[in-house]
Amino acid sequence: MRSVPRARPPFRGTSWLLALSAIVFIGLAGCATKPPPDDPDAVADYQQTNDPLEPTNRVFYAINNGIDTVILKPAAQAYRFVLPGPVRQGIHNLLSNIGSPMQLTNDMLQGKPRRAGDTAMRLVINTTVGVLGIFDVAKKWGYPDHDADFGMTLANWGVPEGPFLFLPVLGPSDPRDAIGFGVNIALDPFTWVGGPGNVGLKAFNWSRWGVNALDSRERVLDTLDQIKKTALDPYATFRSLYRQHRHSQIEDMRNDNRATVPVWFPQAANESSK
Amino acid sequence: MIYRRHFLTFAAASALLAATAPARAQGAEKATAFMKSLGDQLVAVVNGPGTASSKRAAMTRIIDTYVDVDGIGKFCLGRYWKLATPEQQKQYIKLFHEVLVTNITSKLGEYQGVTYTMGRSRMEDEDAVVSTTVLRPNNPPTAVDWHIVNPSSDPKVTDVVAEGTSLRLTQRQDYASYLAHNNNSIDALISAMRNQVSQSS
Repeated sequence: MRSVPRARPPFRGTSWLLALSAIVFIGLAGCATKPPPDDPDAVADYQQTNDPLEPTNRVFYAINNGIDTVILKPAAQAYRFVLPGPVRQGIHNLLSNIGSPMQLTNDMLQGKPRRAGDTAMRLVINTTVGVLGIFDVAKKWGYPDHDADFGMTLANWGVPEGPFLFLPVLGPSDPRDAIGFGVNIALDPFTWVGGPGNVGLKAFNWSRWGVNALDSRERVLDTLDQIKKTALDPYATFRSLYRQHRHSQIEDMRNDNRATVPVWFPQAANESSK
Repeated sequence: MIYRRHFLTFAAASALLAATAPARAQGAEKATAFMKSLGDQLVAVVNGPGTASSKRAAMTRIIDTYVDVDGIGKFCLGRYWKLATPEQQKQYIKLFHEVLVTNITSKLGEYQGVTYTMGRSRMEDEDAVVSTTVLRPNNPPTAVDWHIVNPSSDPKVTDVVAEGTSLRLTQRQDYASYLAHNNNSIDALISAMRNQVSQSS
């Protein structure tokens, strides 16, 4: 594990944060009021929404929205303004290449050999021919990208998603994806290489995290603006969109059952692909 | 091995035959043609010349011809449709129409330079689903599936699914949440929609 820098008393900042979130939680952890049982349609709605922590979630939504308005969104706009499209695309490709070892681990944990093969080929081709991953050459060569993270792996193992959560900073989630988020970091080799106290690695990881936030936010600038403008209840709209998007990613992963027939086999590998 | 391969070929062929029962194949085919015509008209309006108001008029015309607005509106109100009075239903549908046109026309600017490619089409129960990829400058390509009702007789778009997110389902959950937080009052929803329309036009 990482050592805590000696200059700072350990856990001071953390305990302050914990205390603050505890206060927020205790003060606001009201549950959504259940509809009366004599209204079956309303009960069905309530169950389908599956958001028992809605009041708390809405508080975090408001906080995140505030942070986004004053920090993340202007930063993403500046990022878009300063860098031309192709450069941003290159940065996006680079980030996605850095994430591919973690993606590969999840492909394997999901039991998807062809997806793992795609990811492995992408990693090799893009790191070399694609100059550390700035250019997505592998896509043109027939190895398209796909989504894979530990939340999806858990889903494939049959873990239910659980109630909706809106997490501070991280945004829309659920218990399965929140655990997935943590495990993903642990599965990422860049979290561990270099050993503790390696300042260079720490700087690398922090800048990677920062640029990743900019990149992700920049890519949805127009979409988020549009949703906030047109939705009567943006929170409910984001909740719905997040769930649908996750379900479709998981569905795509489950339906990707391309067989691993070797190319030299009479029935060529390509014919058996989806 | 040979036997197995013959068997597989036979199985694949018969599966193919079953899937392409004439009516269904025709439905998917017609849906593709319908979608191509709709897509070309949409792109022509978005990228074409003309003032905002003339584009809005053109968009209204396309939506009226190609989209099952009443059906989508009913779906979006969900269980509240039955609770609404006939007068409320009428007002709601009229406003829903305007909201839809407004939301789509307000996006026109950001879709400048849009192009699309047609993908496969398939049958899903009675509906046809046509896949497309929408490409616009400065944005990653988006996979968009168009759901088309009555593909062989009277085709109309009933849903647009972008990257796995259904527009009508999202809208329905937006309305449901708004209603739940406003004492289930359909009048409150109607006035909120009226606000939306008047604000943006």
